[in-house]
Amino acid sequence: MSLERWERLLGEVIVIPGVRGAALVAVDDGLVVAEAALDQLDGADVAALVAALVSRAARVARSIPTEPPRLIHLAGEGGTLLAIEASAPLWLVAVAEPGAEVGRLRVLLGDLAGAVG
Amino acid sequence: MRVLEPWVEAPLAEFLRESAARLALITTASGQVIAQHGFARSLDVMAAASLGAGILATTGELARMVDAAGGYRIVVHQGAQRGLWLAGFDTPRGRWIALVAFGEQSTVGLVRLFFHRFVERLVAAAPRTVPVREVLAEGFERELDASLRALFGGS
Repeated sequence: MSLERWERLLGEVIVIPGVRGAALVAVDDGLVVAEAALDQLDGADVAALVAALVSRAARVARSIPTEPPRLIHLAGEGGTLLAIEASAPLWLVAVAEPGAEVGRLRVLLGDLAGAVG
Repeated sequence: MRVLEPWVEAPLAEFLRESAARLALITTASGQVIAQHGFARSLDVMAAASLGAGILATTGELARMVDAAGGYRIVVHQGAQRGLWLAGFDTPRGRWIALVAFGEQSTVGLVRLFFHRFVERLVAAAPRTVPVREVLAEGFERELDASLRALFGGS
């Protein structure tokens, strides 16, 4: 898989109305692998916090106990963050405005996660 | 946590809490230990401070050899379960060095994120009244010894 291909996949995410940006994040080190349109967001910060979120969600899942999370949906007043496991350790992440089409975004991320490879 | 400069304590405590780092050592470029967290023995601090300064000096020279403009400000060593973050940064009190060890509860990205905030908080909290001293290589060991005595006690 090439960076160009990953950026093309992320390009499909950011055309959804209301999506502020998308990134492919390595959750084992909390770093950005590829990103698209995260102009007003610091992609590195998003990656670090998503990795922490995934790590904590995994710990919660272990303590319940249940299977590790494959999708994290964080909804707040300022917007939505969706993260879905792609190919370990990579997670596909999208940040959207409050009015974004989250349902469509969720389906698309699910489809694209399988293509990250 | 042990600190030589009280105003360092709050920013460092905040950084440790946010980043989930296990060990932290803050020294001046001249070898004076400003603060440490997680070290039990002064000998360990002494070794870590010397090795950290040595690594930064080595990578600085490497940067000069390969013509990397501005040098390497941050060096990360990533192990299977633990990582090491080593950075030189400027404060109103001169150039300082931070050595941070983190485990599986944290990541390079998280340490990077909160380290930058730590430096900002540190710079904002630093008293401006003490003049910056010149860094002399021969004074490194003396400064290190003096600060370790102040932090851990002993003669």
